[in-house]
Amino acid sequence: MSEAEQIRVVIVDDHPMVREIIALACNERASLQVVGQAGDGWEALEKCELLHPDVVVLDLGLPGLSGFDVLLRLREQFPSTRVLIVSGRDDRAAVFESVRLGADGYLEKTGSVDEIAAAVEAVGQGTKVFSVDHRRSVHVELGDLIRRSREAASLAARLTRREREILDLLAWGLSTRLMASRLGVSERTAEAHTRSLYRKLGVRSGVQAVHRAAEMKLVKLVGSGQVGRLNR
Amino acid sequence: MSTRESLREAPTGEEPGRLLKIAIADYPAIMRAGIASLLSAQPDMEILAAGATADECLESLRALRRRTGVLLLVGLGIPGERGSLWLIRAVRDQFPSVPILACGANSDDLTVSQALFTGADGFVSKDVEPAVFVDSVRRAAGGEVVLAGVPDSWVGRIADNVERTVSTEPVLTQREVEVLAVAAEGLTARQIGHRLGVRERTVTTHLGRIYRKLGASGRIAALATASEFGVLALARHR
Repeated sequence: MSEAEQIRVVIVDDHPMVREIIALACNERASLQVVGQAGDGWEALEKCELLHPDVVVLDLGLPGLSGFDVLLRLREQFPSTRVLIVSGRDDRAAVFESVRLGADGYLEKTGSVDEIAAAVEAVGQGTKVFSVDHRRSVHVELGDLIRRSREAASLAARLTRREREILDLLAWGLSTRLMASRLGVSERTAEAHTRSLYRKLGVRSGVQAVHRAAEMKLVKLVGSGQVGRLNR
Repeated sequence: MSTRESLREAPTGEEPGRLLKIAIADYPAIMRAGIASLLSAQPDMEILAAGATADECLESLRALRRRTGVLLLVGLGIPGERGSLWLIRAVRDQFPSVPILACGANSDDLTVSQALFTGADGFVSKDVEPAVFVDSVRRAAGGEVVLAGVPDSWVGRIADNVERTVSTEPVLTQREVEVLAVAAEGLTARQIGHRLGVRERTVTTHLGRIYRKLGASGRIAALATASEFGVLALARHR
């Protein structure tokens, strides 16, 4: 097989030993050529910029930039590069997030190295590599996300305009006194709205309220200190 | 909207030997007949009803004495105000334990996302092999979230769409939905007030708030937006 036809592979893992083992297994296959390795997220992006691999073998638990962050950036910057996740994580959330962000395959590190090499080859040829269990996990997680979203929408519909305003102001970190003056109501009234908001969200403090609302995507936390509700 | 039901928590688990009863609502008659004959050929399934309209389907579900082991298969192409989404929402609202599997021929990810958000438990494309279609029906009946015959990339898109819906869907309170549902009959504010037992002034306040929330200039525009989102389903059948 000529070099031009080979699938070019970059391996990303923070353990040099793991990288080396995967690289050896890949290079044993005539169809694969490992062109680079990276030990953290930023290095992974640099290598991809430089080498334009066909397939990136990506660990999720990386120091610095996480595997998910790398995956997201790879999808944006190098959409034709395929990504095979090889992770120590076997939880549904990790599989779901990988698929959501556009991974082409998911393997657990408990598999054999030859399995990994075979998967790299398959992914390089355009096949998606997800086990039946992984696909099921993804669907269960998607179902949970949909259920949470329905609950959030139903809660959002129950909040009054004042409660929504209070939520926004809480997210900005305003005190009750400042909220009251901003809304043009008495402190007592602002307190009453706040209590009723807490009750509906099932929380006991402002921080919890904002946290819960952010979880439900009722407020969006953007960068540091910048807060704005999406619902308007 | 507070009654909007969640995806069923736990698999219902078919009892062995029990027939899975399927109600089909789909628009093109040929498609409906095809699906019905495919499913009724399965030893563990029987067709309960096959209708072209949402109302027919709702009637057949309502007529049942027991609704265990019943699944609703709804095509996403049923047109009109009482279309597919309306049906999904109505069934989710009135028969929370009935699994709903949406299906479609050329549905885009946005349509599928809306169906799932509105209350469907899964989606199967009509392009899949018959065996996959049948398997999807069985799995949906068993409480699984099914997504068959769509590209893997749809998982991300559907998740994004659904989360976006939460933040952008015009949110009406239960009362506002009721007011809008009555307004849809073309009554005046006074007549609406009479029907709901509130003052005319209260009705106009509600309507004003509804228009603002929906970004609509008036009643017709508000109804158009509301029916697009399927929000009128709730009140109609109370």
